[in-house]
Amino acid sequence: MNSRRYLRRRIRSGIFMGLSVVATLFGLGWLGVILGTLLYEGFSGIDLAVFTESTPPPGEMGGLINAIAGSFMMGALAVAVGTPIGILAGTYLSEYGRYTRLAFFLRFVNDILLSAPSIVLGLFIYDVMVLPMGHFSAYAGAAALTVIVIPVVVRTTENMLLLIPNTLREAAIALGATRSHVIRSVTWKAAQAGIVTGALLAIARISGETAPLLFTSLNNQFWSVNPNEPMASLPVAIFQMAMSPYEDWHRLAWSGALIITMAVLVLSITARALESRSERG
Amino acid sequence: MEGNSHDKVKVAIRNLDFYYGSHRALKDISMSILSKKITAIIGPSGCGKSTLLRVMNRIYELYPNQRAEGEVLLDGENILSRKQDLNLLRAKVGMVFQKPTPFPMTIFDNIAFGINLYEGLSRAEMAERVETALRRAALWDEVKDKLGQSGTSLSGGQQQRLCIARSVATKPELILMDEPCSALDPISTAKIEELISELSNDYTIVLVTHNMQQASRVSDYTAFMFLGELVEFGETEKIFTTPTNRRTEDYITGRFG
Amino acid sequence: MVDLTVKEDVSLVLSSARMRRSYRAERTFRNMTLACALLVAVMFAGIIWSLFDGAWPAIRAFGLGFLFTEAWNPVTDRFGALAPIYGTLMTSLIAMLISVPIGIGIAIFLTELCPRGLRRPIGIAVELLAGIPSIIYGIWGLFVLAPILRATLQPFLISMFGSVPLLSSLFAGPPYGIGVFTAGLILAIMTLPFVAAITRDVFETVPPVLKEAAYGLGATVWEVQWKVVLPYARAGVVGGVMLALGRALGETMAVTFVIGNAHRISTSVFAPGTTISAAIANEFTEAFGEMYTASLVELGLILFFVTSLVLAAAQFMLYRLESRAGERA
Repeated sequence: MNSRRYLRRRIRSGIFMGLSVVATLFGLGWLGVILGTLLYEGFSGIDLAVFTESTPPPGEMGGLINAIAGSFMMGALAVAVGTPIGILAGTYLSEYGRYTRLAFFLRFVNDILLSAPSIVLGLFIYDVMVLPMGHFSAYAGAAALTVIVIPVVVRTTENMLLLIPNTLREAAIALGATRSHVIRSVTWKAAQAGIVTGALLAIARISGETAPLLFTSLNNQFWSVNPNEPMASLPVAIFQMAMSPYEDWHRLAWSGALIITMAVLVLSITARALESRSERG
Repeated sequence: MEGNSHDKVKVAIRNLDFYYGSHRALKDISMSILSKKITAIIGPSGCGKSTLLRVMNRIYELYPNQRAEGEVLLDGENILSRKQDLNLLRAKVGMVFQKPTPFPMTIFDNIAFGINLYEGLSRAEMAERVETALRRAALWDEVKDKLGQSGTSLSGGQQQRLCIARSVATKPELILMDEPCSALDPISTAKIEELISELSNDYTIVLVTHNMQQASRVSDYTAFMFLGELVEFGETEKIFTTPTNRRTEDYITGRFG
Repeated sequence: MVDLTVKEDVSLVLSSARMRRSYRAERTFRNMTLACALLVAVMFAGIIWSLFDGAWPAIRAFGLGFLFTEAWNPVTDRFGALAPIYGTLMTSLIAMLISVPIGIGIAIFLTELCPRGLRRPIGIAVELLAGIPSIIYGIWGLFVLAPILRATLQPFLISMFGSVPLLSSLFAGPPYGIGVFTAGLILAIMTLPFVAAITRDVFETVPPVLKEAAYGLGATVWEVQWKVVLPYARAGVVGGVMLALGRALGETMAVTFVIGNAHRISTSVFAPGTTISAAIANEFTEAFGEMYTASLVELGLILFFVTSLVLAAAQFMLYRLESRAGERA
């Protein structure tokens, strides 16, 4: 064996592997820095007022409660409408349509929508809801979020259902049940952890979405729970406050960012925990 | 290839062909399954025995590109005809699969699932039917105190007996079993073989197995299949001691398979 | 001994009303699922239609020249997409150049070098990071990164390339802090976990026996990655990268804060610029006049069209990988 050549190979391997370690440290390091900054800046701005007062006019102190409530309301509405639609659509793709060309096409379109620019979805809802209604509203904001929720739930539902072995379905069909009965009583039940995980991931995803809300629900400086009016939301409030020149607003923006990140992390971790529990069970 | 002329024919298969796409998996099968007897179907991997079994409750209809041609008469009626109602067919024909498939619900609900499809029973009546089914499957004593537990909490052998109880709960006439013991340990296998023998007093049973010894232990009639064709069919004892076909003899004596 | 003889008639009493009800329920349910599935296609078509409808005045007025005009003047109603398109492409390019090698490096680390016990935690950490909303990156970029760059990296690069012929104009001052480069950097950090996660998933579809065969022949760790794993997973990696690119192109909040919102193309990457999504986000609610609004919508149409193409190509490559994995299984 040519030992010089072998040595060169080993050195090369060592270099590239070393680079991969550097890459990991570098990549994860930056993210650590970001989270660290977020925690530091966000925490220092959090006090009771954040959760009790609405967004203040420039130069004054205030809180984020109207934005938090707004995000909550619109998110809940989007999930309530989008999740059933997504589950049913995913069920079609996995059960009735599984081997058809139509399902292949729909799956393809769904996956494109899944990663589509969310600002364009905002434009879409602006055109079909805000303009005809004549004003911005929480309904429009929730609609834009629903358009994001549906593809996420479709994908996770279909993936979960595809994992269920066919023999389970056959055993129920062999007893004489109709396919819808089998789906509702057996297949969905077997996949329920996965479907819930999908809903949680959808919620996590829309918690931080800003762009689709910019011209649908707009923003609202005051406390409002009227869905027919513009409504405040955390992401949009943060956007406006961060882009402004006021220090107080910047501090609130950091706090809002921390709240969103915490919510997203908690939801994601819960979703993962559910997933691994169902895998073991 | 008829059996003892005193026994009734439960299922008459006539010139059956089966296709996966353009591939002809079953070739001109003709055979009679006799009532309240155990008929075993044996043969090497890929010979079509499971395919043949699955024609009898038309479960292949779930998948595209699979079709059957010919006639399969259950009590004289062709179940392959377009007019045959699939749900009613499956009410008469039960199926037990290779891997135990308990539904994700309580033991009680597992059994009640099939019954609920066809009958609206009171709670007392349902409880009685569930108990009967579990007794028939020799599982009652082991689970009578935990009917509320999930079906998946049972052991492999118990789960399979649960599946058997589930399929007899709907009072079928014909029970199809696709290698029901291949995923189980020897003790569970022995219990289930005993169960199958007892069940044949009331039900016609068709049993696909890759275990020849099981076929000779349990069945009354045996069909040997090879590459999609029915090579030989007859009384089990005769098939295993004095087979007429050379290929049958080769398989049974282990020269291939 | 349990009496197993059947007491009553074995045949079943079937209620025909019950059966009719279940058939009706079956049809209804099936149609409901089909309707919801079709809704997805309807939404997609609806988006395209509404974008076309909103952009029509601008399309009619500017035609194809819209794509090549740098002008952006709300007062004279002359608009062009060149600056936003350039900004979108440039920021995404910078982002991909940085995040793809690093992301693949992380994936290699996770699948080969990482100690078994750490694999799951780090993998989960990467996935969680991929889920952090883009607005977080945006404000961090604005409040933290931009000032740092303005003070350190940008002056450094400017002086370093000051006398080098071509690069001096690429890295020319003044060091604003915000600009195309900063936006690209933020986008890179944001895309990083996504590329790492999806590449790792792709690497995990490589059959272990393939790697074992290579190791068995005496290949070094790097050689197994470079000569066996990457070629096998090539379609998947390309698909994953294109997926990340598709997302980067459409990303709004990470870049809006730091891009500078200037509708012009500069040779220097340190200069402010704009991207399609940043332009829409910053200007749409204040846009006045039919042409202004329609031009912004046309920008959205271009963006949707381009990202859909990229994502479709990505899907195509990823499907190829899946079917290959199925074949070899």
